[in-house]
Amino acid sequence: MLFRYIAKRFAVGLLQLIGLTIAVFFLIRLLPADPVSRLVGMNASPEAYAQAAKQLGVDRPLLAQLATYLGFQPDIAPGLLQGSLGVSWVTGSTITSEIATYLPVTIELVTLSFILALAVAVPIGMFGALNPGGKADKGVFVYSLFAGSQPEFWWGLLFVYLFFFTLGIAPAPLGRLSPMSSPPDAVTGFMTIDALIAGQLDIFVEALHHLMLPVITMAFILSGPIIKMVRQNMARALQSDFVLYANCAGLPKERVARYALRAAMAPSMTLIGILYGFMLSGAVLTESVFALGGIGQYSISAVLAYDYPAIQAVVLVITAISLVVYLALDLIHAAIDPRIAF
Amino acid sequence: MSRPHTLDTADLLPRRRRDWLFALGVTIVSTVVVLAIVGPYVGPYDPTMTTPNVSMPPPSLSEIPGLFGAWVSGSLEAPPHWMGTDASGFDVFSRVIAAPRTDLVIALVANGLSLLVGVFLGLIAGYYRNAATELMMRVSDVMQSFPVFISAMVLVALAGRSTTNIVIALAFVYTPIYVRLTRAEVMSQKVRGFVEAARALGNTELSIAIRHVLPNSLTPALIQASVTIGFAILLTAGLSFVGAGVRPPTPEWGLMISTGANQIILGEWWPSVFPGIAISLTVFGFAVLGNALERRYDAS
Repeated sequence: MLFRYIAKRFAVGLLQLIGLTIAVFFLIRLLPADPVSRLVGMNASPEAYAQAAKQLGVDRPLLAQLATYLGFQPDIAPGLLQGSLGVSWVTGSTITSEIATYLPVTIELVTLSFILALAVAVPIGMFGALNPGGKADKGVFVYSLFAGSQPEFWWGLLFVYLFFFTLGIAPAPLGRLSPMSSPPDAVTGFMTIDALIAGQLDIFVEALHHLMLPVITMAFILSGPIIKMVRQNMARALQSDFVLYANCAGLPKERVARYALRAAMAPSMTLIGILYGFMLSGAVLTESVFALGGIGQYSISAVLAYDYPAIQAVVLVITAISLVVYLALDLIHAAIDPRIAF
Repeated sequence: MSRPHTLDTADLLPRRRRDWLFALGVTIVSTVVVLAIVGPYVGPYDPTMTTPNVSMPPPSLSEIPGLFGAWVSGSLEAPPHWMGTDASGFDVFSRVIAAPRTDLVIALVANGLSLLVGVFLGLIAGYYRNAATELMMRVSDVMQSFPVFISAMVLVALAGRSTTNIVIALAFVYTPIYVRLTRAEVMSQKVRGFVEAARALGNTELSIAIRHVLPNSLTPALIQASVTIGFAILLTAGLSFVGAGVRPPTPEWGLMISTGANQIILGEWWPSVFPGIAISLTVFGFAVLGNALERRYDAS
């Protein structure tokens, strides 16, 4: 039964990705933008323009372009079926290699932010649910509403002003390492892990130091919805019969709270997955405040340069990762709670 | 007997008079609404014109009472820059209060548009369940799986950085939410007794859908709207922040934060901090209202 469930979820996800790929392809070509003149400049001669259009392949019919992009014409250029995301119109290098450079930066940032946010938000949410109706609970609730509705780029700048300019305990928001340091060999693309692999502890510490403010910024924003969710699910779990029974049986309060938390976390998994996928593209603003050079900043430059293959690739990759995360969490959820798979 | 499908105005008022949070939300939102109407005219300076004073810090807290007295008595040559000026010489205060005209109007119109389209499509998809509406839901699924910020950025940057295009982009990313919410509610309402009764009275299916099911299915979408308006303001500001939103010198909070961002490393905090406080409070205000409506709905 579980296998059929996995297969079904996988098939739906795949269909969704195919639909998305085709939709994005046509959508960006429907919009009244002229990537060729953006590339060759407004004053280019008609010959130069035609030359550039031919080079990019945009002089061919749309369906032929789509066929190449999807990989049905591998003799012209490799496409998605061959595992190629195409070639950037601006830099000329393959987009697969560019994404391999930029994506780990974002994953590192988002993952660390999630760890910090969960570490802070779960106890706070639990605390709120265990003291319902009190002043502290109300405070927790107002905080979660507030944090969940904040402009993260502004908080990032505020933290820069406070911790870099005023207090001087954070580095300047100019990247993942200070300009004087040389990065370790890229193995995984994650600066912290690469530094550990290379055995350079000083670079590891420096990378963490540079990640400090961006991670705090994102964890602050994330803590809002996570606290709200934990508080709600925990309150619901505390009202269930097994908690009543545990209390009647005279179990210590801490242990009952632990049982309730386990019951509360299972439904929270789905929301955490959705948040994670959302944050992969939501990290754009934090990345650009701190000049981290992740997939978000890559997408900004691709969009502003009308680099269609890069835009398509970013949307596709981010959505694919989100779908994989949802799938993985659904599987964990189904393993915890077998009713889901039926 | 009370009619469940009308949103009574009494429902919008706080149940307990001392619900300070709700009062705060109402105060913030109504201030922003008023500023969206009069904001561009009431500021001391023209929000789109530079002044010769460049990067002027705001008066310190101790100077404010004296300055205010002098300003009221008319002994000042020019009105003070209450929030300082930015690196181009724009008066920050005039721009902060003029910006709701841009931010709130974009958020409201975009939400109105997606609410209209989304509710209409959701009603059809929920009431008439066939192959065509199933296909529509799959399309809506695909649209909803787009990464929100990047899609909006792509739409605005490629279609051209104008207010209209921002509205369309926002409406595009928010419509699937309303389709889904309305469809789910329509599906649960259309099996209820009053629909059966309307049918027994000889109403056509179309008139049942529009006159009976639709009014009963609006509440979730309307509650969602008050939350989404806040997020639309965040998205508009974020787009301007990365250079894919409104063009300067339009007074817009995100754009103002973005112009001030280069100076903040040098200690010039005021061009970014004041518009940021405005966004922070506004979006929080809408979140509070949305939450209050949600709880009222859940309770009934």
